[in-house]
Amino acid sequence: MKISRILILACLVFAACSTEDDGSGDGGGNTDDNFDRGAMLANWADNIILPSYENLDEDSGKLEDLAKSFVENPGNTELIALRAQFKVAYQNFQSVSMFDIGKAEELNYRSFLNTYPLNPNDVESKIASGSYNLTLPSSYDEQGFPALDYLLFGLGSTSEEVLGKYTLDANAENYKAYLLEVATRINALTAEVTASWQGDYRDTFVNNTSSSSNGSVDRLTNKYVMYFEKFLRSGKIGFPSGAITGTPSPINVESYYSGDFSKQLYLQALSSSKDFFIGKHFGDAQTGESYQSYLEALDRGDLADDILSQFNTIQARSGELDQSLRNQVETNNTLMLEVHDELQKEVVLLKLDMLQALSISVDYVDSDGD
Amino acid sequence: MKKLLFSAVLAGVTLVSCTSDDSLSPENEKVETPATYNFERDNSSTVDYNGQTTRLQMAAELNSNFTNFDNATEELLLNMFANENAPFENASLNESSKSIKSKVAASNLYFSTNTVESTEIKNDFDTYISEQMTTIKSAKDQLAEAGVAGQIGDGDRERYVNEKGLEYNQAFAKGLIGALLLDQIANNYLSSAVLDEGDNRANNDAEITEDGKAYTTMEHKWDEAYGYLYGDPSIPSANPNTVLNESDDRLLFSYLGQVDEDEDFAGIANETFEAFKTGRAAIVAGNYSERDEQVAIIRENLSKVIAVRAVHYLQGGKTNIEDGNFGAAFHELSEGFGFIYSLRFTHDPSTGAPYLSKAQIDTYKEQLLSGNGFWDVTPETLDAISEEIAAAFGFSVSEA
Repeated sequence: MKISRILILACLVFAACSTEDDGSGDGGGNTDDNFDRGAMLANWADNIILPSYENLDEDSGKLEDLAKSFVENPGNTELIALRAQFKVAYQNFQSVSMFDIGKAEELNYRSFLNTYPLNPNDVESKIASGSYNLTLPSSYDEQGFPALDYLLFGLGSTSEEVLGKYTLDANAENYKAYLLEVATRINALTAEVTASWQGDYRDTFVNNTSSSSNGSVDRLTNKYVMYFEKFLRSGKIGFPSGAITGTPSPINVESYYSGDFSKQLYLQALSSSKDFFIGKHFGDAQTGESYQSYLEALDRGDLADDILSQFNTIQARSGELDQSLRNQVETNNTLMLEVHDELQKEVVLLKLDMLQALSISVDYVDSDGD
Repeated sequence: MKKLLFSAVLAGVTLVSCTSDDSLSPENEKVETPATYNFERDNSSTVDYNGQTTRLQMAAELNSNFTNFDNATEELLLNMFANENAPFENASLNESSKSIKSKVAASNLYFSTNTVESTEIKNDFDTYISEQMTTIKSAKDQLAEAGVAGQIGDGDRERYVNEKGLEYNQAFAKGLIGALLLDQIANNYLSSAVLDEGDNRANNDAEITEDGKAYTTMEHKWDEAYGYLYGDPSIPSANPNTVLNESDDRLLFSYLGQVDEDEDFAGIANETFEAFKTGRAAIVAGNYSERDEQVAIIRENLSKVIAVRAVHYLQGGKTNIEDGNFGAAFHELSEGFGFIYSLRFTHDPSTGAPYLSKAQIDTYKEQLLSGNGFWDVTPETLDAISEEIAAAFGFSVSEA
């Protein structure tokens, strides 16, 4: 009751004050701004999201094929080819991971493809028993790219040792079966999400131009900012460096077993986030409607400049990192923490300033752990 | 109705402050609200709520074991609920004579002559435990479907649901917030029947303390109410709101903080703490009308926390259902179900009864769980229930 009285009062005051600038059109939220949200959504869907998925879909198809070849003939040549394709696909996954919406959200695509650290003990016991069901959400940390990372790099300290698991080991058949199942599942899930964007979901997404919290702009923007905060900042840098827990934890590094690949994954995720901010088309330099142009349309070009300049700062600092973030944590963790701080500055710009400028409210909160 | 109440409270406060100077009667003595919840007699603290802290710790350990399928059993959790056979890892809890179960739906005001319903409610909690450790445990490695218990993905983790999509651990924990905490606070320790029982007023006026204790019985009853809200060991007794939204509490204090974070309800945590302090100071001053005004504020605010979260989670579940995101939807609806369960224990100070009737609340639970439950509940149903709850408490669905 008290609250509603204050509200009424606030409305009266607001009405009285706002009569003068009636007609300016952009006094309130973003509901009546002149920016063409539909054009931005179309640019996102047609020039960024779908081509990113199609690219990954092709990679994951090859990944499955090469996994089959390896399983049929587990030799060094096949291992080298499979490892290389694993890296290509894992890197290109970084360009779609932030688009956790539609079919990807429904399938928990990101959780199935990239939950790390892996639980190697569970993986080993499932391989030993030969009995598992990878569709269960409780097996997020037993599959996806982190499982391939382990199965291709973590089973021994040399290639020979790794190959031995697929040839000489008593459980060699089970190792092969598990490897193939993981690769097949990555491809199947990627194909399903890609197909949804090729199909009806594209229009559903683009046509939902509402400025409400259920509109596509609000929803994907929340996903984008959350990705940047939780998965890029915390997942790739914050947890391994202990910026969040206070204790450095190298096991939390992405692609832990392949060693020198983690920085590359992180940099790809970073540049994909930046590209999305400026609306850069996948695979070429052209740009379209984006957060950057939206902010400019709202006379907040200053903020867009700040965000972009912070992206550049992060990229510059990140360039100094070791190819292996695990090495970085173990040798000079201070640099990791400094990079984390730069990422955190960007989180503030995106989550507070940009969302406020766009009149979008944050719809995700820290889970209360239950 | 509520507006009237507020005006009455306001008038009461004004009256008290105007008349305080020219009266010596303790009933009209002006009560100063202290800065912290520190109260002393002869240099000893008179504040003690260790029994509440014990129960909150028991509830926390029980809740944390609800999905511990590898190590926990039905027997272990039922033992934790009743504190039998030394079930707790924290040994001091095993030595305690207290239990959670004995205080579930056990308030003087609502249940002392209503043991039929009290027993039904206790049985509900027993059932949540038993089902979790039998049906859900045996289905934990299968995917849930409509009509089939199992696990379901919710973002980056899995949830375990019954055949209707309900997570028993959420029903249990969020139901306990009402059935144990709010019921004991609003309907037991803050009720006149308990505060003023026997010679409590005369003893309090004469500062006759309990045997071997520094507090009067009435002071202690008030502190026991306080302890159910602020008694988690991670919360500083004197100034609990310094850890608002940062404590380890996962029950009522946590949700008071979450509601307070919503700008539509900002200030509710501070107002509640002020009322606890002022009411306790009023007891020290022997000013019982002032005390009872604070009781009304506490009852209203804590009841509102339950209602706001119920609506909040129903709406969150609705959005996720519309997006086809069933895992996330079921988690929110399970929390919502628990808070709806807790509505039974709310206390409208203008009527002395829950804001919604038992029949209404039962209807909501039935609507949520009919047929295949959350698998086929419609956004329209969720909206209709949300609207009714919000209206009964005087806020709007969008505010929650």
